[in-house]
Amino acid sequence: MRIEAIGCEPLLLARFKLENSHRLGVYRAHGGYEALKKAVETMTPDEVIAEVKKSALRGRGGAGFPTGMKWSFVPKDSPKPKYVVCNADESEPGTFKDRYLMERDPHLLIEGMLLAAYALGSQTVFCYTRGEYKYLIDIMDVAIEEARAAGLIGQNIFGTNFTCEVYTHTGAGAYICGEETALLNSLEGLRGHPRMKPPFPAVAGLYACPTVVNNVETFCAVPWIINNGGEAYQKLGTEKSGGTKLWSVSGHVVYPGVYELPMGYDMEKFIFEDLGGIPNGKKLKAVIPGGSSVYIMPAEDIIGKNVKMDYEGLVAGGSMVGSGGFIVMDETVDIFESTKNLIEFYKHESCGWCTPCREGTDWLAKIFKRIARGEGRPEDAQLILDLCDNIEGKSFCPLGDAAAWPIQSAIKKFPEDFRRHLAPLAQTAVVGVGD
Amino acid sequence: MSQQFTPNNALPQEAKVPQEVATFSPEVEAEMDRHLAKYPEGRKRSAILPLMFIVQRERGGYLDPPGVAYLADRLGVRITDIWEVATFYSMINTEPVGKYHIQICKTLSCKIMGADKISDYCKQKLGIVPGEMTADGRFSLSLVECLGSCGTAPMFQINFDYHENLTTEKVDEILASLP
Amino acid sequence: MSTDLIKVTINEKEFQVQKGARLIDVCREKAFNIPSFCYYADLALQASCRMCLVRIEKMPKLQTSCTITCTDGMVVTTESEEIEKAQRAMVEFLLANHPLDCPVCDRGGECELQEMAFDWGGLEERFTEPKNHQPEKYLSPMVANDSQRCILCKRCTRVCDEWMGEDAIEAGGRGANTVIGTYGGWLNCSQCGNCIEVCPTGTLLDATYRHQARPWELAQTVSTCTYCSDGCQESVGSRAGEVMRVVARDRYVNGHNGEFLCIKGRFAHTFVNHEARLRTPMIRYKKGGKLIPATWDEAIRHIAGKLDQIAEAHGPDAIAIVGSPRLTNEALYLLHKFATEVVGTENYTATDAFSLQPFFDNLGGPLATHQDIRHAKTILIIGGEPEELQPFTGKQIRQAVRNGGAKLLIVNSVPIRLKQQASAFVHVRPGALDAAVLAIANQAHNKLSAQKMGVEEIELIELRRALTNTEGDLVIMFGGELSLEAQAVIAQMPYTFGTEGRRVLLHPLPLFNNSVGAHDTGLMKGKLDAKAMLDAAGERVRAMYVAGSFLQEQLRGREAALGKLDFLVVQELFETETTAFADVVLPAASFAETDGTFTNNDGLVQRVRQSIPPVHQAKQDWMITAQLAKELGVDFNFQMSASAAFSEMASKIPAYAGLRYPLLKDESQPAQARYAVADKRDLTTELESIRQKVESLEETASKMTETPEVGHELFKIGTLTDKLPQMHLLAAGNPEPETVRISPLYQITIDANLQGKEAAATGD
Ligand SMILES: Cc1cc2nc3c(=O)[nH]c(=O)nc-3n(C[C@H](O)[C@H](O)[C@H](O)COP(=O)(O)O)c2cc1C
Ligand code: SF4
Ligand code: FES
Repeated sequence: MRIEAIGCEPLLLARFKLENSHRLGVYRAHGGYEALKKAVETMTPDEVIAEVKKSALRGRGGAGFPTGMKWSFVPKDSPKPKYVVCNADESEPGTFKDRYLMERDPHLLIEGMLLAAYALGSQTVFCYTRGEYKYLIDIMDVAIEEARAAGLIGQNIFGTNFTCEVYTHTGAGAYICGEETALLNSLEGLRGHPRMKPPFPAVAGLYACPTVVNNVETFCAVPWIINNGGEAYQKLGTEKSGGTKLWSVSGHVVYPGVYELPMGYDMEKFIFEDLGGIPNGKKLKAVIPGGSSVYIMPAEDIIGKNVKMDYEGLVAGGSMVGSGGFIVMDETVDIFESTKNLIEFYKHESCGWCTPCREGTDWLAKIFKRIARGEGRPEDAQLILDLCDNIEGKSFCPLGDAAAWPIQSAIKKFPEDFRRHLAPLAQTAVVGVGD
Repeated sequence: MSQQFTPNNALPQEAKVPQEVATFSPEVEAEMDRHLAKYPEGRKRSAILPLMFIVQRERGGYLDPPGVAYLADRLGVRITDIWEVATFYSMINTEPVGKYHIQICKTLSCKIMGADKISDYCKQKLGIVPGEMTADGRFSLSLVECLGSCGTAPMFQINFDYHENLTTEKVDEILASLP
Repeated sequence: MSTDLIKVTINEKEFQVQKGARLIDVCREKAFNIPSFCYYADLALQASCRMCLVRIEKMPKLQTSCTITCTDGMVVTTESEEIEKAQRAMVEFLLANHPLDCPVCDRGGECELQEMAFDWGGLEERFTEPKNHQPEKYLSPMVANDSQRCILCKRCTRVCDEWMGEDAIEAGGRGANTVIGTYGGWLNCSQCGNCIEVCPTGTLLDATYRHQARPWELAQTVSTCTYCSDGCQESVGSRAGEVMRVVARDRYVNGHNGEFLCIKGRFAHTFVNHEARLRTPMIRYKKGGKLIPATWDEAIRHIAGKLDQIAEAHGPDAIAIVGSPRLTNEALYLLHKFATEVVGTENYTATDAFSLQPFFDNLGGPLATHQDIRHAKTILIIGGEPEELQPFTGKQIRQAVRNGGAKLLIVNSVPIRLKQQASAFVHVRPGALDAAVLAIANQAHNKLSAQKMGVEEIELIELRRALTNTEGDLVIMFGGELSLEAQAVIAQMPYTFGTEGRRVLLHPLPLFNNSVGAHDTGLMKGKLDAKAMLDAAGERVRAMYVAGSFLQEQLRGREAALGKLDFLVVQELFETETTAFADVVLPAASFAETDGTFTNNDGLVQRVRQSIPPVHQAKQDWMITAQLAKELGVDFNFQMSASAAFSEMASKIPAYAGLRYPLLKDESQPAQARYAVADKRDLTTELESIRQKVESLEETASKMTETPEVGHELFKIGTLTDKLPQMHLLAAGNPEPETVRISPLYQITIDANLQGKEAAATGD
């Protein structure tokens, strides 16, 4: 598996090739914690936020919300304690970038979180990591101890009056806890149901105190921004979405891995040159560019269409950046099957709070299972689309929409793969769906 | 429908409310204290998941009734609060699991890279289907959703250890190497 | 809520609405139909059923009107193709895994899901997949559960948490596997059954009524609960002269208790048609002889004769008249009238646990209604245990604290459960409650009181500070443990603590459904109280006419008293220790067979309505008294009309002046008695006598450290609750059955005789 930057100097992956890149010594020897030093010694919190705003950094967790703006929503005057929470629940199928950031460069994340804490006047940072990533929590705990021992966490950091604690917290297997308000409930020891918005976390989040939740990669981008200035970061990308982005590449490519690309990189070039194309001389069939929750793109929409890999570019190309979970599928993949696999995922991960998602995903999964048994009916396509429409935009949180989109786009873009199964009592009962 | 230990099987609904309360060694108690220390005054409940992992580690891989009773005491919540949380999270086991809990990722990237081959192989090698445990209690098998190894698919996790780029040969090696 | 108005446009019509009003409420007020399942007024918002979707201009996608607060200029559409499709879709989703077994469902006919489906009509079933099956089971002797019918609106879990503060049921599992339940599957709670009440479907069911009747077979009669002094309004469901169930469902009744009832009100109605009910009048012709059935005429004539003889021989004061605080105002009023106008005796009383006389004589301010309690800013409770003895008051207190942020101050010798909600709990030695009143009335006594109560002086100082810092309503409650002087002092506290910005409202905690009525009708004003009267039996008192029975604690140590009487007439539902000595026993009608009124601890005068004809030969208490009076030559002239009796009573009792049955028709607009407010009084004598009592308290008594278990009072077996078999299971500690699939009643049998003794040993 490859981990490298393409088309830009490595910014998030700068230290990945180094021996013991996860150790504090190595991190500091390569400019680590300079940004924090600079910020706490020479910048006001508002200046830090201003830089982040200039950088046009957008949330890397999936929603793509401008980070600087989110930070500026936190009420300055609130007497309550403020919290910074790192969303390391990385559970979006096809996404595994945060995992490697934490494994290889935990101090980068810690520095990013501390910078946010300084900017927001917070004294407590929680890093909520999915339970399956236990080994990463152990790495983080060691890194946190190193940093604390070096006076980078705790009282009077760099001798200033900035004081901040950093803690790890574990999830326990629930995709929905990646949704920021569900994450906060989970962090409070409750069932991981999303919360009503408003109030937004920035106003009333963890323990009803002002809270900022950001993705691992988002935090990791901040130190560079402070060191090199927001403009420099923005220039690396496009006007609306600055900087570089990590893409987790999986599926049918010669070189799967984690790649750092400048915003706006060309998708076709990426697949066929940088990723070595499709193995075993097979043809490209489809790409899910931003994790399971985004629209699927057929090869025709990619080849010769110079799709730009950034927020606007992918929307124009008929999909979304999402979490950058880049899943490549060759001609052997049956899109009906891949869609069935995803709806089963969403059915299993629906938190069960609201009617459309809870019942809708359960029902859809049952329909796909029946069809896979060879009992498909021509009218099923219509039924499925109607159910998706009944979920989309009606659910309590975006998971409902996320379940509907892949199905809608799959049926729209790959009618053939469905038709084959929906022929009355299709004989094409597919192998490997015995579950 | 994928077969998982939880939440599909919630805490045994007919289980009697535990009279007995589990006890733990000073080391383990201290470990729990370290977690509890992370959260502000009056927010003990925040530690529910970390403590559940510890209890399940110490009590044979799952939350047995005495373990549940302990958690309720320790966190100062009702026993039903433990139940509602435990049954929500798929990593919290409410029934015994094997010494080695093999969790095969079944989600898209792994699927198209051959997860079925691996799970079929494990099934016939261990003679159990997902959701089951071998008679000797050594292995249990489940199919789980994306574990973040899509780039190194197919994969499974044995307890907390990642095993990636699996082939049937590799599975043999790994299982053979287990103490 | 602020009172300024804003403009909202709904379906092209403009409305002026209160700023901050909730959109779903506004729409419904303005008669736009908004379907919903999870929304329930005054409970935490859920927004999970997604039924209440509306379109709001300038907002992306449809919005849930249950979560929207109106803003000025808001433009709303509640009816459109888009919206109807969405709402139909939700119903379809909810029905997808639903068993559709309405024909065998107890809720069939009153199920909100069924009604929704009928309203929409034209639902073709597109769901052809296998449904997720879930077994039927029992969660307790009172609560049956059919999870597959559940739509997960979570009203039950919120009610259990927010109303009852018990958190006994929760949602477990995730996604489509979510189920409502509890760890171990067995509920050890106060068994209020409110979860059953608020369930919109047949998921949570009344286990005592399971498969007994269909709602449409039942006649629904709005009436008042016959247990505690909270006076919950309820709907008695009867069929062919039998009471089948009691509910507070707002489709039938809209009392001050909303849909709240407690275990007794909801389930313990089985005594009404119980086989042990007295069937005919009975006469014991000679002492020690048997009770022999007789006709009403014989019995009445026999009594009249005897009473005449005794009056002849010993004078009218030898005849004592005793009523139970469970009887209607009409019955109690007639007993008083009978005593004073027919017999002319000075010896009459009601068998209440304590007298409210000194309280009402000194009443310095208005009584708190339950609504006042819900919105109070500070609540002080001295003694008592509302959660067990006045459960609705308990619920209002919890919600005031939880939803209203009220301060709860508790002074008690027992660490009652409610102290979990309290911001201050003054834990005093047993019997030292008066000392608290002394200190609160006059801080000069702080030192003495603190010493005697075994608390720090600072606790009293802070208690007082909390009272004097209150902005808004201050509600003061007290239990019967207090001395009469102390109750008088509390009654005057509005003068101590009332100011411009602070109303002081009083809330006594008497034990019986008509304790307050027993006071109002004057029956407690007699010369002797119940105990004194028993002590006088066989001496000053030669004969007694008792409607109801003496309480356990009154008879304790006086077991022989009733035997000493020359003549004893008892009017009862069941054989009791009091009837055991009776020379004549008369079968009385229960609340369900009676027309009348009860007065609750808010002073609300509320209707009791006859829902079934009297069983066997039973008669309404007041009619028996009237008939006896007539036999003795005084015709009250009420014919058969309780309302005539009430009108006369209202004209005699100043607090009831102007009240008539027609004014009491609508239970949602209850009438509060207007009690005279006494002027500020000089309390030195009371305070002095309290001080002396307190002085004499010794400081050795050790404090009670055990918090009493849920149900220690609620589950007590009394003459009435004894007739509910499930109650015996609870009294026996709610043992878990072998399996939760079969009603525990069929699995667990408890020695009936033993329970019989239990019944004798307690008494309600
Ligand atoms: C169903 C669902 C799952 C999500 N999962 C994740 C996740 O695993 N990791 C993450 O960082 N954000 C996830 N998000 C996005 C978060 O809600 C939130 O937008 C993000 O953490 C904010 O951080 P950012 O602004 O840095 O992206 C998820 C959102 C939804 C609706
Ligand atoms: S859409 Fe509804 S059920 Fe689905 S995850 Fe969000 S809140 Fe839960
Ligand atoms: S009533 Fe609004 S979502 Fe249920």
